[in-house]
Amino acid sequence: MDDSPRPPSDQSPPPPPPPAQFLKGIVGKRVIVRLTSGVDYRGSACVLGVFWMMLIDAWYRSTIEHVNGIVTNRYGDAFIRGNNVLYISAAEPM
Amino acid sequence: MDPSATGIQEPFDLIRLSLSERVFVKLRGDRQLTGILHAYDGHMNLIMSDVEETIMIVDPESAANGHGVVNIAKRKMEMLFVRGDGVILVSPPART
Repeated sequence: MDDSPRPPSDQSPPPPPPPAQFLKGIVGKRVIVRLTSGVDYRGSACVLGVFWMMLIDAWYRSTIEHVNGIVTNRYGDAFIRGNNVLYISAAEPM
Repeated sequence: MDPSATGIQEPFDLIRLSLSERVFVKLRGDRQLTGILHAYDGHMNLIMSDVEETIMIVDPESAANGHGVVNIAKRKMEMLFVRGDGVILVSPPART
C-alpha cells in the first residue's frame, strides 16, 4: 500500500487512520486477544464492532482461552465485550 | 458458521442468533453463567432464565502459601437480569 500522503480529492473519502486500518485488516485472521485481567484468547477475528474508531465488541471463532499459558477453555464462537480488551495481536501476517 | 452466509454484519448478530438458546457467559469477578438467553441490548444487559452460576473463589490462606486452592460455589436462579458492564464473553452453544 502507498503510504505517501495523497493530494486531497473530492471523489474518494480520506483513508482510515492506522488503528482502524489494523482492525479492518485482521478480519478473518488469527489473533491473540489479551484482556486486562491477563487472560488470553487465541482465535480467528470474525466480525468486529467499531464505533467512533473504538473497538466496541468482537466475535471470534474457534477460540482457545489461556490463563498463564495453560488452556482453560475452548469456544466454537465467542463474543467478547470490547471494554475488557487490553490488546489484539495479529498471529499471522496481515 | 460463515458470517456472509448467515447475514452477520456486526458482532451483536451472533447474540441475536443465540436467543432462546442456552449460552455460556463469563463475567467479571470469576463468575460464569449458563442459561437460556431471552433478551439483550446494546450494553449487553441480558435477561436469562434457568441459570446456573459458577463462582470461583480462591482460598486466601492457600493463596498466601502459593498453592492457590480454588473453591467452586454454584447456585441456580430461575430468572436473571445481568448488567452489561459485567460481561466479558458470551458463547453460544456449538452449532453443526
